[in-house]
Amino acid sequence: MTAIQRIVRRGALVALSGLSLAGCSDFLTVSNPNVINASAINPVNDAATLAASAQQNFSVMHGWFAMYQSWSTGEALVAETFPTRNEYGRREVLNTNGSHNGDVWQPISVALASASAVLNLTLPSPTSNVSYARAATFKGYSFLYMAESFCVGAANGGGPLTPAQMLDSAVVSLTRAISIGAANATPDGVQLANIARVGLARAQLQAGRSAEAIAAARAVPAGFVFNIATIDDPAQRTRLGNRLWQFTLDRGSITVAPAYRITDDPRIRFKSPAQHNLAPQDPASGAFFIQDKYPAFNTPLRLASKLEADYIEAEATGTAAQLAFIAARRAANNQPVYAGSQAASDVLTEFLNQKGRDFYLEAKRMGDLRRRPANVTNLPVAGAAYFKPGFAPIGNQTCWPLPLQETDNNLNFPRS
Amino acid sequence: MGVPVGMGTTLNVCTFVTCSQALPSPRRPPPPAASPHPPRKSQRWWLFRVTVQYSFRRTRNPAQFQTAIRDQSYLSYLPPPQDGCSMFRVLRTKLPMMAAVVVAAATLLPRASAAQGSVTVGTLAGSITDAATGAPIAGVTVLVGGTTLVGITNDKGEYTVANIRPGLLAVTAQRIGYRAKNDTVRVAANQRVTKNFVLTATVSTLSEVVVTGVTGNTTRRAQAAVVASLPMGDLARTAPVSNIGEVLQSRLAGVSVNQSSGTAGSSRQIRIRGAASISLSNQPLIFIDGIRVSETQPSAGVGGQLTDRLNDLNPDDIESIEVVKGPAAATLYGADASAGVIQIITKKGKVGTNSFTQTLRMDASTIDQNWKAPSNFGNCTAALIAPTSVNPLCRGQALNTLVEDNPLERVNAFRDGSERNIGWTGRGGGNNYGYFLSATSDATEGTLPNNAFSRIGFRSNVNLVPDARFKLDVGFNVLQSKTVQPDNDNNIYGWLGGALLGSPTTRRDDGLPGQDGFFGFARQFDAIKGIENAVETRRSQFTLAANYQPTAWFSNRFTVGADLARDEITRFFPRNVPQQYAGNLNTGDNTQTRVGSDRFTIDYLGSMRRSFGSEGQFGANLSGGFQAIVSRTDVQTANGFGFTTNAANSIDNASTRTGGQNFNEQKALGYLGELQLSNQDRRFIQLGARIDQNSSFGEGAPSFFLPKVGASWVISEERFFDGLTGILPQVRLRAAWGTTGRAPTPGASLTTFSAAPFAITGSSQAGAIPLNPGNDSLKAERGTEIEFGMDVTTFGDRLNAELTYFNKNTKDLLLARQLPPSLGFLANPFANIGEVSNSGIELTLTAQMLRMTNLNWEVRFGGNTLNNELVSLGGVNAFGTTNRFTEGFQLGTVVTKTIRSIDETTGRVVVADTLESFGNILPTREWNLTNTFTVAKNFRFSALIDSKTGFNVFNNTDFFRETQLVRSDNRLNPTKLSRRERLRRYGNDTPGQPAFVQQNGTPTTVNEVREAYIQKGDFIRLREVSVSYTLPAKLTAKLGPITGGTITFAGQNLALWTDYLGPDPEVTSNAGAQFSREEFLTLPNPRRFVFKTNFTF
Repeated sequence: MTAIQRIVRRGALVALSGLSLAGCSDFLTVSNPNVINASAINPVNDAATLAASAQQNFSVMHGWFAMYQSWSTGEALVAETFPTRNEYGRREVLNTNGSHNGDVWQPISVALASASAVLNLTLPSPTSNVSYARAATFKGYSFLYMAESFCVGAANGGGPLTPAQMLDSAVVSLTRAISIGAANATPDGVQLANIARVGLARAQLQAGRSAEAIAAARAVPAGFVFNIATIDDPAQRTRLGNRLWQFTLDRGSITVAPAYRITDDPRIRFKSPAQHNLAPQDPASGAFFIQDKYPAFNTPLRLASKLEADYIEAEATGTAAQLAFIAARRAANNQPVYAGSQAASDVLTEFLNQKGRDFYLEAKRMGDLRRRPANVTNLPVAGAAYFKPGFAPIGNQTCWPLPLQETDNNLNFPRS
Repeated sequence: MGVPVGMGTTLNVCTFVTCSQALPSPRRPPPPAASPHPPRKSQRWWLFRVTVQYSFRRTRNPAQFQTAIRDQSYLSYLPPPQDGCSMFRVLRTKLPMMAAVVVAAATLLPRASAAQGSVTVGTLAGSITDAATGAPIAGVTVLVGGTTLVGITNDKGEYTVANIRPGLLAVTAQRIGYRAKNDTVRVAANQRVTKNFVLTATVSTLSEVVVTGVTGNTTRRAQAAVVASLPMGDLARTAPVSNIGEVLQSRLAGVSVNQSSGTAGSSRQIRIRGAASISLSNQPLIFIDGIRVSETQPSAGVGGQLTDRLNDLNPDDIESIEVVKGPAAATLYGADASAGVIQIITKKGKVGTNSFTQTLRMDASTIDQNWKAPSNFGNCTAALIAPTSVNPLCRGQALNTLVEDNPLERVNAFRDGSERNIGWTGRGGGNNYGYFLSATSDATEGTLPNNAFSRIGFRSNVNLVPDARFKLDVGFNVLQSKTVQPDNDNNIYGWLGGALLGSPTTRRDDGLPGQDGFFGFARQFDAIKGIENAVETRRSQFTLAANYQPTAWFSNRFTVGADLARDEITRFFPRNVPQQYAGNLNTGDNTQTRVGSDRFTIDYLGSMRRSFGSEGQFGANLSGGFQAIVSRTDVQTANGFGFTTNAANSIDNASTRTGGQNFNEQKALGYLGELQLSNQDRRFIQLGARIDQNSSFGEGAPSFFLPKVGASWVISEERFFDGLTGILPQVRLRAAWGTTGRAPTPGASLTTFSAAPFAITGSSQAGAIPLNPGNDSLKAERGTEIEFGMDVTTFGDRLNAELTYFNKNTKDLLLARQLPPSLGFLANPFANIGEVSNSGIELTLTAQMLRMTNLNWEVRFGGNTLNNELVSLGGVNAFGTTNRFTEGFQLGTVVTKTIRSIDETTGRVVVADTLESFGNILPTREWNLTNTFTVAKNFRFSALIDSKTGFNVFNNTDFFRETQLVRSDNRLNPTKLSRRERLRRYGNDTPGQPAFVQQNGTPTTVNEVREAYIQKGDFIRLREVSVSYTLPAKLTAKLGPITGGTITFAGQNLALWTDYLGPDPEVTSNAGAQFSREEFLTLPNPRRFVFKTNFTF
């Protein structure tokens, strides 16, 4: 055998070894069951699932908003150590606040974007498809919450939105939801339409369009209530459970503010330290008065109701209607007759006070504050010392800023 | 089909890889009993079998071999592959058994070979001594040219190489620290030829052999790019090191090692030549004997600290560590090696020595925290000073008295830790086999009550050299480690969090539950100690490396191996009555996580060397091969809460149970080639390339081409240099350019949804929401590096200097491009944008300051600079709120709204309008200095000092204790700090005035003005001091079987000089973060004293 032959044969051995591996054409194919490949989703067949998921995204967001709004509006005190959460209690939320991005802005963005994605699908029966109705309802509510809470908004990577633009977007979506839901005519569709009617009334009121608000509110059927369902799934508590209870039990974050430690009003349910054995995360927050409105992971949270529609109608109608409503709500809850000033502003203050009790920890207070800053009481007082030592004084925010993560990365925002 | 190979043997290529097209064979072959001769359907056989069979046939004793193989009936039952690429699956399940069979075969083969060796082969033996002292030199490698045969000298300087084919052979004797010597020797059949060598000590490293970063072993003189080499030598015996991280710490220029905390068993962050990636790992790849192993750092979720796979390894097993620093040298490691490569080379047997030596190492350490935690302060209120108060500190004091408490000290939380390490090694070999065995049992108790680390390991490395042309190395390593981690760092259940955030105003002496000076309600010593966190790892590593050199100029290396790791992770909060924790944790909460991390490597390399011209004036080495790596991770988690008793805390006993699982897989395939040309063994050119594919890039992604080129020139051997050789006996110039990459995580290219259940009707149903928009044009980051430098030996061969300039540029940066949250995706997609550069100078000096018979003084210095810069973000805005990524600055610079002015009269503090980069987090200068004195040959004194400068640490502990939870007397004692400093730290305290005012008039808070807490981390540390005594031969002669020994007393972390105001600038509260230099309730590094003994038998 010549040297050349040997070289050829041994070279062939090497080459064949390599080529045999290369010949395994599927070598780079891997299994990755962690993620759902988008190509596996059928936009039409899975539309109902995507719409329901979008509704759940809104539920997640709503839980966060109920908690963070409670701190910013004085319903509750921050009983935990996170500086970022104490910024809410101090009404001085910075755009660098990580909790603000992760717990507030991102959830509302996901809720809005996931609902929008469903509306962008081409589905059968577009004028009565319940998936459209669902998505439109919660897209509209997402815009509404954004307008009530954020000084400037953004949606789907677009440019800055003013509150008026956000409210207009809410109105468009909610109007569409009412139309499709009503046309759908199933119990689900009808319920969605009624949720949207309450939302529409709320958005119109927030936008200052009283007549439209009254009209929408009156369209809500008597006795209507829609509660966001929650369940106690230990593996999914952050997504499916009641956020207020989660942050009461697991983190000791929420203590009822002194102004709401009202023992003779059934609308404010709480427990004093002697009535429970939980501890606040931050002992500096003082005695731990825990909320008892949501005493379990599966306690539902009210989102929309005829009661709220009535409040909206009364506020939009004027002082007399507000006084009548005050009387009704006080009477219904064993409170003495209102004997305060009859001046419009004072009446409105008391009206919003009653509303604050009726909708305690229901994420409606920021909208009231934004709309009627002079008439919302029990707020952390701007300039006063924070209730915990070491912190800067309380600020005067009535709305929250967009986090830096949005303004830094959104190409439609001006560069800093 | 088979390819005939010499000696009538047939090799079957399809046994290397299982090609389904070629292998439609039945699932199982017939049992051997029915077929006394193994079937010739060799497609079903594996490489392993073929090579063993081949090697046996080379022995010309087939009958004996057949008997041996038939006894190992498993060989005939190796299942055939099930699909086209199932070799990895088969390897995963069968490799342990295969390895065991090979080890068994190893015990049989030598007898066969020895029998025939007496007929046709000869033996080379001799001794090697030091030219200056005449003392024997241990650890010298004797290479027999044109063969795979190697001999290593023992403590007496003696070596033996058996099984040498008769003829005239080139022999080389080499050892780090000595000038290599070449000679020729004629070996005759059946004869034992003696060849002694006398080696001259040198500080030059040009004759060192490098095995990493090149296609085959290469002397350093031919290596164009720097591959740092760290021989273990005496390190394990004489330095206070017990794991690989400590071995690497401060010993190599350009290799920055950072111990994340003082917790025993915690991880280290390793950065080689800076950080090149923002979103991907900057930890180097780890290879052991050519097999890529797991680099993951599992954790029990204790706040910020991780464990470290490198802690699993026994330093006794290691021959040397080579570090490939950058793309210029790491090209051949492919599209995932831009952060560098650490190659750990384990000890092997001593083939041909007919010897057996054992070592026994016993270490005992004491560990003291050497740190006093700061006290907490608080002002007494009216209620607390009352006679009825339960607060013993305030009762009877004046109103607002500032009282002090130190919970950790009060409850004696810190203990003296300890370490007890025992290790045994056995090393030896016969005529044509060698073996290295080791066993270790190490146990460490940290300074906190629930902190411990233990390790038990066994390694077996068997080398078979049945023929001068063929060598088979089989490595088998099993180990079990357990790290018990305490809660700490950013964690309200931690020791430091519990103690340093407590308040003296909560002290009480009425015996009732409360905080009693700690942070959490009823969460004091027992409650914190009661939390169980453990990471228990069982790990098996297998390596099979076959070297076949059919001719003197053609060599083949085939390596296959696996690293199989199984982690059992426990996090348990005990059930308790006083509500020590939160929520359901108080009912007893047990989280069990099982992690399976498997990594498989198959690597082939063929190399052809030829010399040309008169007297071999020119040389060429052409190499090529492939490498395939498969990584799989399977994580299963179960949680249960609600236990009847703490003892019966299996998940099944919980009242509520949940579970989870995830799995991912990544595959990489690369083809590599290299051509090295040499002229007169002093001028070298290397050209190389690798083509990579990676499953992470997505289907259809183009291959990734990685070229490299380099040159090395030993200029001092040129004639024109003759006049300078008196001053500069050795000078080498070198330059290299190369490219590597960094692959993204599995599935990164896909557009994905996340499973997200919904319960809109009150019951949970499967849902999905957008997760990641993906990027189907994803490719690896492309790191390109140019480095050039020179190696100089001067001062009469007493000083060796290696000076290197490097410039590493990473383009196509894989950035998890931050999307605006309003787009609604939960994850950010990777995109190839941006550019990062790392450049710097590395200097390594080795100096023999004194070289006398009874006094040696050696100095080693390593230093480097680093200029890390984010060159471009590809149009993306700067991002990050604590550590920010801004063009023109270092990666992850810590940011704040910097203070523009302080008016002490009005208290007004004006700050910048936006976050500004305030300081680097990567050290820009590092150096280490080791002085070693050897006195009277037997006494050795060594001290290692190291330093890192040019970086900052966010002292979040002080920030939190002063500005969030006010516990520090800096804040509470108004006279402790100057007014200016108080304004700088806390802002304006005038009622009604904002703490800080931006230049645009907008108020802001201390949360954005952290300038006072971003502190310089520069330090110098007396890292190690050791005193060793080597037992003299006269003494060991009287000690029976003991032939040598070393006794060492050493200390670690003995002194620290720094202006940093926290306890330790090296620790970090988030060990897993890519870019974080934050100290937040993190345990500082302790001081350790160790007594080490090492005896040879």
